[in-house]
Amino acid sequence: MLNVVVTGLAIGALYAACALAYNVMFSTSKVLSVTTGHIFMLGGVFGAFFIADLGLPSVLGLLLAVLIGAAFGLLTEVVAVRRVLNRSDEHLWLLSTLALAIMVQQAVGLWWGTEPRPFPRLIPQDYGQGLWDQKYWLPIIAVAVIAVALEAFYRFTLAGKIFIAVAEDAYAARARGIATDRVRAFSYIIAGVIGALTGFAAGQLTFAYFALGLTLTLNGFIAVAVGGLGSNVGAMLGGLALGLLTTGATYFFGGEYQNTIAVGLLIAVLLIKPEGVFGSKSVRPV
Amino acid sequence: MTRQIELWVAAVVGIAIVVAVPYLVGDFYQLHLATLIAVYWVLIGGLNLVVGFTGTLSIGHVGLLAVGAYCFAILAGSHGLDPFLTLFLCGALGALIGVLLGLPSLRLPGFYFAMVTLAFALIVTELSVAEQWLTGGGIGLSVPGFPGPLATPWGYYWFTAALAVAVTWMTWNVTRLMWGRALVAVRDSEVAAQSVGVSIYRAKLTAFTFSGFTAGVAGALFASLQSYITPDTFIFELGLFFFVCIIIGGRGSIVGPLLGTVVLTALPEVVAPLANLGNFFYGALLLVVVLLLPEGISNLVIVIRNRMKPAVNVNAPVKPDLARLAAAVRRAEGEAEAHPAYEAREVHA
Repeated sequence: MLNVVVTGLAIGALYAACALAYNVMFSTSKVLSVTTGHIFMLGGVFGAFFIADLGLPSVLGLLLAVLIGAAFGLLTEVVAVRRVLNRSDEHLWLLSTLALAIMVQQAVGLWWGTEPRPFPRLIPQDYGQGLWDQKYWLPIIAVAVIAVALEAFYRFTLAGKIFIAVAEDAYAARARGIATDRVRAFSYIIAGVIGALTGFAAGQLTFAYFALGLTLTLNGFIAVAVGGLGSNVGAMLGGLALGLLTTGATYFFGGEYQNTIAVGLLIAVLLIKPEGVFGSKSVRPV
Repeated sequence: MTRQIELWVAAVVGIAIVVAVPYLVGDFYQLHLATLIAVYWVLIGGLNLVVGFTGTLSIGHVGLLAVGAYCFAILAGSHGLDPFLTLFLCGALGALIGVLLGLPSLRLPGFYFAMVTLAFALIVTELSVAEQWLTGGGIGLSVPGFPGPLATPWGYYWFTAALAVAVTWMTWNVTRLMWGRALVAVRDSEVAAQSVGVSIYRAKLTAFTFSGFTAGVAGALFASLQSYITPDTFIFELGLFFFVCIIIGGRGSIVGPLLGTVVLTALPEVVAPLANLGNFFYGALLLVVVLLLPEGISNLVIVIRNRMKPAVNVNAPVKPDLARLAAAVRRAEGEAEAHPAYEAREVHA
């Protein structure tokens, strides 16, 4: 039973990080990018590639994977978001990020192969450690550090305050002389760093697998929708709750019903409290 | 009036091409491909009302296709029901699931709805693997064909083509009349549509239910064409493919998505390197169309024509007609003097 809780927390931390990445990107651009999960996939796949295939040391592998994640975040902003934000059609960003997500997933599938591959050990440790295995606590620690760092960034640095200003009211921020375009691009880089770090840390849990992105995009979205879009506390709690719920469901009913239960949760929350548990009601524009 | 005649001529020519296809293709594989296009179009034609006209982004219609396929395999195969009755039942089941899925989800904004349909597609695959007693699990089910003249590739092609034409005709009727206008209004501005008395929720739900019906029928046809189905057949990428066909063809038209379906189904089969790239190709095409041609390929001609048009010279100087202005001012002053009662009335009020 404890095993279920620890696994649930580890997977939940991954979902929570995905929800955080959604929030970071949404706050400055009001776009929910379909590529969110794919950033995590890139972190895992490139981490495994650098360390296992090229034989680089773990730290260097981590740095390079984070670099690639950040580059992909920026690419998403430049290719799929920047151009379509000027148009009034709100569906276009969904289509452009979806197209980019398909392309990156297929490109990785063609290059890396479509089978899940094991992620190398990062810290020397025997495999018989049970609950103390690094594959459980590495993602939990990584996400806890990320969440605290993100909160500190928003609270205590000038750049973080600029972020909040843009998130609250982009027009007012621009009137005060903030380069909102640059802030938006920077938020996508931050999301890329979050994704690559977490994808790297959770590599041993998820394996380096090309189709991971779609699952994470969906589950991270469920976490953020349940927790409340825009709320980082909600994202963390939503992610952890979703992880515990799906792992518990696997334990009690078998692994066949994971998605069914996750989506059941989503629909239940959206029916009862459409803005999410920690979300704020948005005013309907008329 | 001429527009009407043009459309009817286009319809007759289209039907003639559809009927003539078996005489034009070289071998049975190409005929199979033509049949597959017709089957896809039965689904995409219905989905077009949802995505192209109502602007509701469903990327998970492959789930409804799978439901129709398994329904046909189980009822007509395992229980030996009449295939034509089963075909209708599959459509009805698809419509029912469309209603059940649409009731809660269609109240959600765009991205939320897209994610729910994505999740629905994943759930259907998950359940078709899990419920072995019903679906045969990962091993799959064999599917019976249709009896009599439909058992041959030619007969089956004409049957599916006739259904595809019927779906086209139905959607064309919808889009031509007030219903279609309401759907387009919902797509372009929900608030404006609501303010002129369109019930957004009901319009969306009706379109979605109709697309559920056609998806169920298409699933049954698809299963019968493939003659064996497994959960691997209904991967999420197939749902994406349907969606991409419509977006690339062009939203708000019927010919565009039809061209999209034909080209995107046939192109990877004809050009071998594209088949290897598969979904990467669809993704790249989608990105190019969204960034450069958001209205879709069917509007390419219009976009190019507008670009080619010489810019109107906006710097044409406007000379004020001073004499006329002075005359108008004089007249107004004269009227004010002639009717002093105006001011008196205001004082009384």
